Amino acid sequence: MKFLPFSRAPRLAVSPSRTRAALLAFVLLSWSTLPSHAQVAKNAVREKIGGIDLVILKTGVKDVVTVRGSLAAGDALSPDTSPALADLTGGMLDRGTTKQDKFAIAQLLGSAGATISFSTGPSALNISARCLRADLPLVIGLIAEQLRSPAFSPEEFAKLKKQFAGNYRRQLDETDFRADDSFTRAVYPVGHPNRQAPSAEILASAEKITLDEVKAFHAKYYGPATFRLVLVGDIDAASAKHEITKVFAGWTGGVRPPTPAPAKPGAVDAARDQNVFMPEKTNISMIWGQATGLRYGDTDTLALRVGTAALGSGFTGRLMANVRDKEGLTYGIGSYVAGDTFVDGDWRITANFAPEMLAKGLASTQRQLTEWHTQGITDDELAQRKTGLAGTFKVALSTTSGMAGTILATLNRDLELSFIDQYPARIGALTKAQVNGAIKQHLDPEKMVLVKAGTVPGAK
Amino acid sequence: MHVSLLRPRFVTLALASATLALSLSPGRLRAAEKSATAPVKADGFAFVKTVGAISEYRLTANGLAVLLLPEHSAPVVTFMVTYRVGSRNEVTGTTGATHLLEHLMFKGSDAFNRTKGTSSDQFLERVGGNYNATTYLDRTNYYAEIGNEHLEGYIAIEADRMRNLWLREEDRRPEMTVVRNEFEIGENDPEQALDKEITAAAFQAHPYHHSTIGWRSDIEKVSIEKLREFYDTFYWPDNATVTIVGDFDPAAGLALVKKYYGAIPRAPKPIPQVYTEEPAQSGPRRVTIRRAGELGVVGLAYKTPAARHADIPALNVLASILSSGKTSRFYRALTDRNLTLNVSANTGYFHDPSLLNIYANLAPGATHEQVEKALLVEIDLVKTAGVTAAEVATALGKIKAATAYKRDGYFSIAGNLNEDIAAGDWTLYYTLDSAIAKVTTADVARVANLYLDLNQSVTGWFIPLTPPAAK
Repeated sequence: MKFLPFSRAPRLAVSPSRTRAALLAFVLLSWSTLPSHAQVAKNAVREKIGGIDLVILKTGVKDVVTVRGSLAAGDALSPDTSPALADLTGGMLDRGTTKQDKFAIAQLLGSAGATISFSTGPSALNISARCLRADLPLVIGLIAEQLRSPAFSPEEFAKLKKQFAGNYRRQLDETDFRADDSFTRAVYPVGHPNRQAPSAEILASAEKITLDEVKAFHAKYYGPATFRLVLVGDIDAASAKHEITKVFAGWTGGVRPPTPAPAKPGAVDAARDQNVFMPEKTNISMIWGQATGLRYGDTDTLALRVGTAALGSGFTGRLMANVRDKEGLTYGIGSYVAGDTFVDGDWRITANFAPEMLAKGLASTQRQLTEWHTQGITDDELAQRKTGLAGTFKVALSTTSGMAGTILATLNRDLELSFIDQYPARIGALTKAQVNGAIKQHLDPEKMVLVKAGTVPGAK
Repeated sequence: MHVSLLRPRFVTLALASATLALSLSPGRLRAAEKSATAPVKADGFAFVKTVGAISEYRLTANGLAVLLLPEHSAPVVTFMVTYRVGSRNEVTGTTGATHLLEHLMFKGSDAFNRTKGTSSDQFLERVGGNYNATTYLDRTNYYAEIGNEHLEGYIAIEADRMRNLWLREEDRRPEMTVVRNEFEIGENDPEQALDKEITAAAFQAHPYHHSTIGWRSDIEKVSIEKLREFYDTFYWPDNATVTIVGDFDPAAGLALVKKYYGAIPRAPKPIPQVYTEEPAQSGPRRVTIRRAGELGVVGLAYKTPAARHADIPALNVLASILSSGKTSRFYRALTDRNLTLNVSANTGYFHDPSLLNIYANLAPGATHEQVEKALLVEIDLVKTAGVTAAEVATALGKIKAATAYKRDGYFSIAGNLNEDIAAGDWTLYYTLDSAIAKVTTADVARVANLYLDLNQSVTGWFIPLTPPAAK
């Protein structure tokens, strides 16, 4: 049997879409993976090597190394007429290089039990790899080879296009994906990196894009100028630097994208209440929220996050405690700040409702949202969130992947590594007035957009 | 809060994307994993055995099993209690009861409840960390990964709810609709829906017939009295194993376990054992689901032995060779030829005989007939021509690394142990890895011929009714 065990705590009520998965998961988890004794800024080596922004952190882990990287080659850089271009370019990286075919590479990695994966997000191409200590030169070498010299075989490109279309269409079957997809276009204006192109445009463009266009995109955007690379684990920093210097020698290019104008809440001329009708679905995915215009490093972001946690994090958050536990209207509901790593992001409540529970569920959610926004959080809630976050900070001892992901996110947020070490103190210093002020200042329920995807009663 | 590490120990996936096959997380090959720590003498406990770095004790007063794995790299500890009750212990009318009861375990007791500000949620979210509970075919577990200074506080709550749970109708009513929504979310997914039908067709007598979430009507109608009966039958110390992994002193850990669990009596009646065996299957079975959707799915399920069986290691290697990564048989024969978007093969790892499942997500334009035929051709090829030494070596490398990565972090270790406890032998945590390392090409060919038998299989098709058109 394949079915999974069932658990009391839900996964993300609305999982992020094609282009946002890594980003949103990261925003939610990144602070829960650090050791209490991190001292990251002191212990990490950060250098520019061949234009690459490199961070190496040796930890107490034995044998294992995790690699994370990003490069400004995300969907936002695709031309409006070809929204699938960045995806298809990233998709060609693991389909063979000018030196060896994809099967040879897979065999090398498989025999070592190592993995390398590439994924394209709204703002960046993301690189993720892991291996045992002895295989780090192999993995670094293959990352460089795949980034620098994809084979761009016409045969592989034809296969990729079909697989891309198939995987994309499979996502169209998911209520979570469809809700998120519509939500981005309802809150982010045209041109904003977090706004997803309509499905039909993505699928049509994937059919039309030529291999020459992919090569041109690769030539323009793939290069060290925007490449951030993080290695964490059982590493000898000197030999790792030597290896990186060698395999990336002579690599040039890369273009830093312009910073978009922040999305103003309510700036998009979209319906405030939207249905995405999907027949024969037993569950409806809901997103309710707005653009914030805030990036992670902005002054009010941490305060907004703490306030948001009091509303919709865990079982003691107001949403789970009331809409689920007291009223039984949903399996999963929560509130999040998302999409604010590279650019300004959004604030959202996500939930699941059965069609017959939808009206009650929305009414209950609205009550909680209104009360929270109007009255703010209490002293007790603030105190609990502070100790909880501090405890999680201590508990969530670093896995190498958690640490590497957090460091990369910090770089992508344009923050210094010392920010990681200062995080507990920053959270601890927040006052109720700051938290409630941030809620009032940056959120406006009147301007929020509600999206429901599934077999919505009365919709077609 | 995220759920993690809830799958059976060996899940191999073949993905069409750049992501490689095994679901790995970076590992931590700790010294403690390699060498045993000396058992401690603790009043009230009998030492049972030490295997690897894990020592087993038994609380003599009531039979509670205790597994200890001290490891001191960080001031954190994972505490977990595993009850040997899962959906295999359910019958018609109570399907899903184990899981619903697991939800109700958070509703409080006289000592620990929301009104007092002492509920498990309030305690654990105040101290921070990761916690959850999960239910599966053979077991139910409750766990928290917290700062070690909070260990006693959590053990007190966990031990209390073993016997002192409120179990009130006023709590069941809203929780039933919560669980029903969980059921509905699962029904949204074509592959999950197909999996339920295939499994139900494969098992006609054995309670693996139904999924852990249960049938909708049972979720809605099971009474609080039935749930109480379930609780009073299975929630006893002699039907549970406590696991502590992380930064704690073994003697002090045992003392805490005794302090909070020691006064709980043994079950008043013997814990009922599942004695139903699935009768022999005498021919291929087929199921079909026609429903709105985008793309089709083909599923194949073959009967396989229980987790403790000697053939499980070779079946895991076989599944890896079939579906793990771009070098796998299915990737080359189907995904690389645009017949499928991906193909997965998973060997069941359960207390009783289960299934090796193969799921193929159809690529646009491919037909169910084509994909089913291509899967069967590859399976026949393995059966008739066997596999190569290189394929076995690659699979072993992947599985070995996956095992190392899955032991990254205290909860990860506890989560893996949880499935071994459920399988009926926690020492599989170590012995299964050793057995896999010895698998040969002959072993793989033998188990392929023995178990990949169409007469012992179920084939399922998910047929989407929505015309495949871009939205």
